[in-house]
Amino acid sequence: MKKLLLDIYYVWINELKVVFKDGAVILLFFIVPLAYPVLYSFIYNNETAHEVKVVVVDDSNSALSREFKRKVDATADVKIIGYATDMEEAREAMRRKEAYGIMYIPRDFSKNINTQQQTQISVFSDMSSLLFYKAMLLSATEVSLDMGADIRVAETGGGSQEEDAATRQTVENQWVTMYNPQNGFASFLVPAILILIIQQTLILGIATIVGTHNDKKRFTIASHTAQGKSVHPVKLTIGKAFCYASLYMLISVWVLRVIPYIFKFPQIGDPLTIAAFLMPFLLAATFFAMTLSYFCSQREFGMMLFVFTSVLFIFISGISWPWTAIPEPIKAIAYIAPSTPGIHGFIKINTMGATLTDVWLEYIALWIQAGIYCTTAVFMYKWWIQNYDPEYKGMVRN
Amino acid sequence: MTKETGISAIFKREWLRISSSKICIWGIFVAPLLSMIILLWMMGSGLPSRIPIAVVDLDNTTTTRTLIRQLDAFEKTDIKYKSLSFREARQQMERMEIYAILTIPKDFTEDAISGNRPKLVYYTNNAFLISGSLLFQDLKTISTLASAAVGLQTAEAKGFTENQIMPILQPITIDAHPLGNPWLNYSVYLNNILMPGILQLIILMFTVSCFGSEIKAGRGSYLMAMGDNSILKVIIGKLLPYTIIYTGIAFFFISIFYYINNFPLHSGFWPMFLNYFCLILAAQGMGVILLGIFRNYRLSLSIASLIGMVSFSITGFSFSTLAMDGSLSALSNFFPLRHFFLIYVDQALNSIPVGYSMYQYAALLVFVLLAVFFFGVIRKMLTDNVYEE
Repeated sequence: MKKLLLDIYYVWINELKVVFKDGAVILLFFIVPLAYPVLYSFIYNNETAHEVKVVVVDDSNSALSREFKRKVDATADVKIIGYATDMEEAREAMRRKEAYGIMYIPRDFSKNINTQQQTQISVFSDMSSLLFYKAMLLSATEVSLDMGADIRVAETGGGSQEEDAATRQTVENQWVTMYNPQNGFASFLVPAILILIIQQTLILGIATIVGTHNDKKRFTIASHTAQGKSVHPVKLTIGKAFCYASLYMLISVWVLRVIPYIFKFPQIGDPLTIAAFLMPFLLAATFFAMTLSYFCSQREFGMMLFVFTSVLFIFISGISWPWTAIPEPIKAIAYIAPSTPGIHGFIKINTMGATLTDVWLEYIALWIQAGIYCTTAVFMYKWWIQNYDPEYKGMVRN
Repeated sequence: MTKETGISAIFKREWLRISSSKICIWGIFVAPLLSMIILLWMMGSGLPSRIPIAVVDLDNTTTTRTLIRQLDAFEKTDIKYKSLSFREARQQMERMEIYAILTIPKDFTEDAISGNRPKLVYYTNNAFLISGSLLFQDLKTISTLASAAVGLQTAEAKGFTENQIMPILQPITIDAHPLGNPWLNYSVYLNNILMPGILQLIILMFTVSCFGSEIKAGRGSYLMAMGDNSILKVIIGKLLPYTIIYTGIAFFFISIFYYINNFPLHSGFWPMFLNYFCLILAAQGMGVILLGIFRNYRLSLSIASLIGMVSFSITGFSFSTLAMDGSLSALSNFFPLRHFFLIYVDQALNSIPVGYSMYQYAALLVFVLLAVFFFGVIRKMLTDNVYEE
C-alpha cells in the first residue's frame, strides 16, 4: 500500500516537471484556459442585438401610420434609419447594408382601421442573423397589439375606465425568463464553452506530451524505466491523471468561478456543489484525454486530430439544439464525451441553482466515465509501452 | 539527388504523401464527413419540435382544458406534465425535463368573463436560449388566443357580427417575411456556415503542417532543390493537391446542402461555388501567412486552430457582429469565414446582384495576395531547415 502511494506520488511529481518544462503544454494548459474564456465572453458580452436598423415604406402616410412608426422607433430593439418612397428603394438600402429590414405600411392602412377591417403590416427581415428577425418581429407585434387595443377601446369601449381596461385586454399575460433574465447570448452559451475549454485543452495538452515522447523516442522516460524503476501502467496512469487533474482544479477556479463573476453571467450555484461536481468531471475528462492522447503520434498532431471535435461536442451537448429534440443515437454518441454530462451538470448547478441531488444522473455518469476511461487509458498505456519501449520488453537500450 | 524536378514532381510527391498519411486521411476526409453526418442528422427536422413543458392549471374548467389542448397541438410544444404543483414543475425544470411552465390562475375562466383580467404567466428556461425563445412564441400565441376567445364571447354578447369580430380583436396584424429562409430552418441557418467553418479550420491547419512537417523531417532543402530553387514552384506544387481535394469537398457540401437537402440557393450554383473556392484559396493563403509570421510549426498550428475556432463566433452568424463591440466587428474582417458568410447571405439567401458581393470576393483574394509577401520567409525556413519544438 505504501509502495503504491509512493509510486503514484513519484509519477505525479515527475509528470509535473514534464508539464512545466514544455512551452507548448504550458500554452495549452494555462495560457489558453486563461485567455480563451475572456475572448469568448468579450465576443458575446453585449448579450442581445439592440437598435436593429430598419427602413420604413409608408404608403398610408396617415396619423395612424405615423403613430405606428413612432412607437416602433421607440422600442429598444429597432431603430428606424429612414423612409423610402417605394419598396425598390428600401430593397436597395438593404443591399447596401444600410438597413437589415423593411416595414411596409399599406396604402389602405388607416382606411381599413377606420372602417373596422383588419389591416396588415409587412415585415421583411434579412436572415443573416435570427436576432434581427426576432427583434423586428417582436417590436412590430408589440406595437400592433398595443395600438390594436387602443383602437378596440375606441370602437367598442365607451364604458367606465374598468370596462375600457377589460376591452384592451381580457386576459393579461406575463413572460418570465428564468435563469437568464436579460435573455442574453453570453449567459446561455459561454458556460457551456467554459466546460468544453477545460476538456479540450486537457486533450490537446496531454496529446502534445505523448506526441513529444513519440518524437524523441522517450518511451523509457515516459514509463520511468530509465531510472531503473518498474512502475505498473495502472500507477503510471493514475499518477499522471492526478498531476493533470490537480493542475486543472486550480485552472477551473479561474475558468468556472472568476470568469462568470467578471462578466456577470448568471451564477447562483453553490461553489461547494460545483466543486463536488467538478471532481468526477475533471477525472473523467483527464482519463478521456489520456485514452485519446496515445493516438497522437507526433508532437504537433494533437491539433489536427482533435480540434474540430470541439464544434461537434458543443452542438451535441444540447445547449443550442434542445436535448429532448436530439435523435437517440446522437444522444448516445454525445455521452461518450465527459463534456456532455459536464455541461448539463454545470449549467444546472451554476445557472439554475440545482443541488447535487438534482444532477445525480450526470454525477453518476461522470463517475462511470471516469472508471471506464481510466481502464482504457491503462490499456492504451500498456499497448504504447509494449510497442515502443525496448527496456520494458527486456531489450537492451542503445 | 532528385530524379525529377518542377511543379509536377512536387505535386505527385505531395499526392502520395497525403494518401499515405493517416493524419491527412483523418483530418481532411473523415473529420468533415463525420461532422456533416452528425450535424445534419441532429438538425434533420429543421426546427426542434415537441419541446416538453408543464402546465400548472389551478382553474381546471372546460375553457382552460381546451386551451391546454390547443397548446399541446402546436408543433413546438409538448405538454409533458399537467398535474404538478408549481414547485414540482420547477424542480422538473431544474432537471432539464421541461423547458417552460405555463400557470393558469385559480378562477381564471370566471374572472375572464366578468372582466377581471386574470393573468397567464409563463416561465421559460432561458439558460437554453433557443428552446426558451421557441416556446415563448407558442406560449405568447396561446395567451393571445385565450384573450381572443374570451373577447369573442364578450363581443358576441355586445351584438357584433362574426365578420366584425376579428378586426376588432386584432385590428393590425403583422405579416412576417424572413427573407431567403422562409421556414426559419435552423439546419439551414447553422450548417451553411458551420461546415465551411470546419473546412476552413482544416485548411488552415493542414496548410501549416504541409510545410511544417517537411522542415521537421529535415527535407526542406531537398524540397527547394526539387522545385528548382523556386519558392513559387514549391508552394504551388505542394498546395495544389490540397486545393483540388478541398474543392472536391466543397462540391460534396454544395450537392448535399443545396441539391439533396434543398437548402435555399437563390443565386444558382456559380456564385456560391465561387464563394467556396475563394474561401479555400483564402484559407490556404492564411495558412501560409501564419507560418510566415510565427515561423514555428507547432505555434503556427496552435494559432491556426485558434483562428479556426474563433471564426465560428466572430463571423457573427449566430450572434451578429453588429451586436459585438466595435473593435471585434472590425477584427472580424481578418477572418476569411466572415467574408464567406456575407457572400452567402447576399447570394444564396437574398440573391442580390453579384456586383454587391464583389468587395467580399476581393477581400478573400486579398488573403492570397498577402500570402505572397511571406513566400520569402517560407523559402528561408525551408532552406535553413531548422526545426524548433
